[in-house]
Amino acid sequence: MSEQALVQIKNLSKTIGNKKIIKNLNLDLYKGQITGFLGPNGAGKTTTIRMMVGLMKPSEGDVLIDGKSVKHSFEESIEKVGVIVENPEMYKYMSGYKNLLHFSRMHKGISKKRIDEVIVQVGMKNRINEKVGSYSLGMRQRLGLAQALLHDPKFLILDEPTNGLDPAGIREFRLYLQKIARENGVAVFVSSHLLSEIELLCDRIAIIQNGELIDIKNVKELQQSRFLFKVEPLAAAEEILAGIGFPVSQFEGGLLVETEAEHIPGAVKILVNANISIFAVQPFKATLEDQFLEMTGGGDIAQAHTK
Amino acid sequence: MLKLTQNEWMKLWSRKSSWIMIILLAIILLASAAITKWVDNAMDMNNTESWEQVEASEMAYNLSMLENPNLSDTQREYYEGEVAISEHRLENDLPPYEYDTMQQGVIESHVMMSIVTLFTVIIAGGIVAAEFSQGTIKMLLTRPVKRWKILTSKYIATMLYAILLAIVLFIVTALAGLIFYGIGDGTFLMWNGSEVVEGSFWLEGLKMLALSFASVWIIGTFAFMLGTVFRSSSLAIGLSIFLMFTGIQAVFLLADYEIVKYYLFTHTDLTQYYTGFIPVEDITMTMSVIVLIVYFIIFMAISYLTFSKRDVTA
Repeated sequence: MSEQALVQIKNLSKTIGNKKIIKNLNLDLYKGQITGFLGPNGAGKTTTIRMMVGLMKPSEGDVLIDGKSVKHSFEESIEKVGVIVENPEMYKYMSGYKNLLHFSRMHKGISKKRIDEVIVQVGMKNRINEKVGSYSLGMRQRLGLAQALLHDPKFLILDEPTNGLDPAGIREFRLYLQKIARENGVAVFVSSHLLSEIELLCDRIAIIQNGELIDIKNVKELQQSRFLFKVEPLAAAEEILAGIGFPVSQFEGGLLVETEAEHIPGAVKILVNANISIFAVQPFKATLEDQFLEMTGGGDIAQAHTK
Repeated sequence: MLKLTQNEWMKLWSRKSSWIMIILLAIILLASAAITKWVDNAMDMNNTESWEQVEASEMAYNLSMLENPNLSDTQREYYEGEVAISEHRLENDLPPYEYDTMQQGVIESHVMMSIVTLFTVIIAGGIVAAEFSQGTIKMLLTRPVKRWKILTSKYIATMLYAILLAIVLFIVTALAGLIFYGIGDGTFLMWNGSEVVEGSFWLEGLKMLALSFASVWIIGTFAFMLGTVFRSSSLAIGLSIFLMFTGIQAVFLLADYEIVKYYLFTHTDLTQYYTGFIPVEDITMTMSVIVLIVYFIIFMAISYLTFSKRDVTA
């Protein structure tokens, strides 16, 4: 990655009382890339994001956005950022349009035309003059996206953006984010504890636990090639496959084999010759959840789900 | 800053309560004028005293007050002025406005200012706190605008609303006077320090209104501070209203101590220098204005510091 990072999180720390809840976080975010920010609840995702957008002051360290420090030149750096922190709370007693007008006045040079453009973009044209109080959660989410896009930001931060969206809404939202990342070169940073969602959406994943960044991975790297064999008898098959050098493990009543696709026909032939009954052979995609649990240890995420 | 204030103004008028308070103010003023008129008619005023008799007895009272050797300069000046005006009225046969005339209503419009204070406190206490309770604060503060600018725009919007309320108070009082009392005969006289001159009742009404606005301003600022610090509009509004009513009582409790001179509520009513009701001796208009400004600076400093330093976790 020779390209200059658009956003640099440098040695970011937050101490509340005498507890250090964010510990020396370093992370670079790049143009056109969607980075997921994953961690169990209480790991420090929201605190990190709040420090990135100036809602909280870092105890140590800084965030640079396009070279400008959030700490020292707040206005110049935040200018380039679009933010949705959790549920986008809007002024319920005003219409969607007035809400957008309100936020547009807080940025430089947003024309009425631009507001209309964004309204069309998020598909809110028909209901924009109704009060936000009458909107469904999905519509509020769209309006939230609209306010974040008004000023054409280079960097989009979303904290748990799909909370409360239905599957169709999530899908639409995902495609939209991928589109603006690709076409407009926007850097996107999305926090979530919905692992499957992050996996579909992101190019890269940063994993945080107990305030520490424990891993940064590219999603493609995570998807190793594995195949699940449903065969009988299991023990004999395992012996044969292991005997010819495949890494094998038992998994949910089948055998999990780590190998490339081109070795599969050979393996099947051998099993058939050995009189093993084959019911199914299928590519096995380990979900991110499994790996996530592996990395963070099961206890924390189980706790997270009980939210 | 103009755009930010525009935003606050738009939000303020998007809420029904802002409209209701203006309408309520108008209704209260009209109703109280109507009730006064009705009570007067019912009692048919068997007050047989002529204005000369009333004026003479007032003058006698003011003269007796002047004999008190402990009077402060401010009080002495007030009573001397009143006596001079009474003398002038009696000598030149210039009756004052009767109290049930539109003119007298305008002169005394400031007595209803406590309603303006009350409504201003409701807006001032809620304008910051509501952003926190609705969760919109995080949308507001993640914009390329420094926090102090946002707070300033909110303060300006609050004070504009207070000024608007005061203007409505003045206009509706005049209208109510016109409808229920009608224009009466009389002259408005005032003491300019060396002689008695004729004055305009409009200007006098506006002057008193402006003076009593000081209390709207400072109590409004106090509520604004509480709302900013505690992020709870009910706490800010409740505490401010409580202090508004009990604070003035405390002036009498503290009257014997030196500290009363630096106590906020000794100074909130600037009209005291023109109505003669000065509960604490040895205070002057200048001193009151200085004390008010010092309190204002303290309230604002606390508001700005907490608002710009606060970590938003809502």
